[in-house]
Amino acid sequence: MFFNSLSFAIFLPIVFVLYWFVFNKTKSTQNAVLIIASYYFYSCWDWRFLFLLIFSTFLDYYTGIRIEKAKTAMGRKLWFWFTITINLGFLGVFKYYNFFADSFSEFLNGLGLQTSPLLLNVILPVGISFYTFHGLSYVIDIYLKRIKAEYNFVDYSLFVSYFPLLVAGPIERATHLLPQVKVKRTFDFDKAKEGVYQFVWGLVKKVVIADTCATYANAIFDNYESMNSLSLLLGAFYFAFQIYGDFSGYSDMALGMSKLFGIDLLRNFNYPYFSRDIAEFWRRWHISLSSWFRDYLYIPLGGSSGGMGMKIRNTFIIFIVSGFWHGANWTFIAWGFINALYFLPLLLLKKNRSNMETVQLYWNFDSFKVFLSMVSTFLLTCLAWIFFRAKSIGEAFDYIGRIFTNQSFQSQYLENERYNYEIILLILGFVLVEWKSRTQVEPISGKYSSLKLALCIAAVVALGTYSDYKEFIYFQF
Amino acid sequence: MKKFIVFAFKTLIVTVLIAVALDFIYTAVYLNSSNRGKIDYIYNSKARKYDVVILGSSRANNHFVAPMFEEKGLKTFNFGMSGSHLFEASLMLKLMVERKYVIKNLILETDLNLSNEHQAEGIAAKFLPYIHQSDIIKEHFSKEKNFKQLYYIPFYRYVAFDSKIGFREMFFNSIHKKTVHLDNQGYYPLGNKKGNMKNDIRALKPIPNKYYQEIKQICVANNINFIAIMTPMCTNTKGLDYFDKVKKLYPEVHNYENVVLEDRYFSSCGHMNDTGARLFTARIIKDFFNN
Repeated sequence: MFFNSLSFAIFLPIVFVLYWFVFNKTKSTQNAVLIIASYYFYSCWDWRFLFLLIFSTFLDYYTGIRIEKAKTAMGRKLWFWFTITINLGFLGVFKYYNFFADSFSEFLNGLGLQTSPLLLNVILPVGISFYTFHGLSYVIDIYLKRIKAEYNFVDYSLFVSYFPLLVAGPIERATHLLPQVKVKRTFDFDKAKEGVYQFVWGLVKKVVIADTCATYANAIFDNYESMNSLSLLLGAFYFAFQIYGDFSGYSDMALGMSKLFGIDLLRNFNYPYFSRDIAEFWRRWHISLSSWFRDYLYIPLGGSSGGMGMKIRNTFIIFIVSGFWHGANWTFIAWGFINALYFLPLLLLKKNRSNMETVQLYWNFDSFKVFLSMVSTFLLTCLAWIFFRAKSIGEAFDYIGRIFTNQSFQSQYLENERYNYEIILLILGFVLVEWKSRTQVEPISGKYSSLKLALCIAAVVALGTYSDYKEFIYFQF
Repeated sequence: MKKFIVFAFKTLIVTVLIAVALDFIYTAVYLNSSNRGKIDYIYNSKARKYDVVILGSSRANNHFVAPMFEEKGLKTFNFGMSGSHLFEASLMLKLMVERKYVIKNLILETDLNLSNEHQAEGIAAKFLPYIHQSDIIKEHFSKEKNFKQLYYIPFYRYVAFDSKIGFREMFFNSIHKKTVHLDNQGYYPLGNKKGNMKNDIRALKPIPNKYYQEIKQICVANNINFIAIMTPMCTNTKGLDYFDKVKKLYPEVHNYENVVLEDRYFSSCGHMNDTGARLFTARIIKDFFNN
């Protein structure tokens, strides 16, 4: 059940009515409605994986209590590593087993030892990376005595399985979400209206921008060998907007609908394509994952406290692990590595925290330089996205090579029965709207909000792509 | 909460009004278009006269060289459409009859498309802009499983088939941007393509097809000479006995599957190139129109 599907358009109002009109007496009944709705929502993909979700929830709930109650440091450690091992074990089996088995076999074959890997025919449970990371952050925080263990199983279950964030985040923290689910929510009109605005804007990003770009990006990437330089450049450009519209659109929808239930989720995107350097980009892109890795990997590894060598090592580790989190393919690792390379000069020059404020442009030379830095950062990310989108590293290099060697900049007719340039105007319009609203959460609220809402609805209805492409990219992670 | 319910209700009303307004605009544009494809070319026309009308899938569209009929003095149009089934062919003929076309001969490509009675969604969608204006189209779609949504929900059909009749197609219709579909009296010549010349049609079985029967009945009722023809496939096709099965089920269908054999006359296994199509058409003209 996708957020942009008809079934979800029926599901959400039903849950809303049950939540606020039928089971609104206590926080427990409110939470119970949300949990049942969440489990139903998750089972719509594959009911069998519901057991995995419930097991994962129970494991972290139970071990969290055991860690807190352990009388000795050894006991705490034992329970901590027990849950970490099982959590990562699940992730390893379902997400990475085939990758490791295949890579190991290839390595042995390279040494002249002929082996064939024992591959498992496993389906990746949707959202496993997200809810596993929820659970991990929870037990790590208890182990580090940052938070107390949650003794109410219903409240804890809701923290893990809350349907707006269940399958593609944002990756919540217990410190942020648990206090909200532990009190009865009262209806707040302004928050709910904001939620509707954010949901509708997320829908615009998803069906108008991302899904339309997807048909072009797919037509180019899937046939890149027959594409000329112009198409290949545009393919990377379209994919950049596809993945941004797709994932930030999903996040906006998740945050928006959660506001309808009186619950605030962590912001996941903050206009990343207006970043002036790659460090700023990573403070604005998939914020909940970046901050997760910062808090639970980068800082425990020593963070920036050691010498330059340690900083560089930790930077590469965090980017490569972040890439690998996305999927079991060398392309994601390469994508992480490339981003680490982009980050390195900023780190060496100690400029990785130099663009902290919201970007402003004026009609002067300094602003022109700022504009160029935004464009160059965007181009660097586009280059890295080629690795993210390609099926293999070889294909990514081949794709990039053809951009430079083909030298043909004619318009091409794509297999989606469109010309390769046809949606540039739509994307430019989208960029202008985003630029204008870059200090807000979404562009609809404020002056003329009713008119802007109507225009967004009209855009979703008239300009959306529905028959060609529907999936959310991040559901596969 | 009361304020929110009012807000949600207003948003819902605005959404419905937008859908109704867009539906009206899109439909108005399609009602004024006649140079984008064969369906709007028929729908927005009146009483044409043809000696020969050709219907069928791409195996009609790419195989019957309409200008060769014209050279013989036969006013001809090839209404074959790539990807279409007999569901669409039947509806096109119904629309022609409703528009009082005078047709002397109908050539129907009748082979692989006999194996199913489904609509070809990508093609059938192009009739949908007219569903509220035409009882014939409405009736033809009335047994389809998504008919109620398509007919009663404003703008739903444009959303459900956005790649075929959505914003882009509507926009091009509004500026009357021409396509190649109507060039060469509807015939679309194919060039030579490299690749494996092979096909496997063993899974296909001809069935008693209601749309084929419909077409035959319309021809009888309107005094149209009905010519059903099977067209060539490359020799490296597994399951070529399909054509014998068709002949057994429908003895009136003329089997021309094997009149063009060599791979050099094919663009792909199921489609002849322009040279092959000309050889084939010459044979059809000789056999049926040589008086």
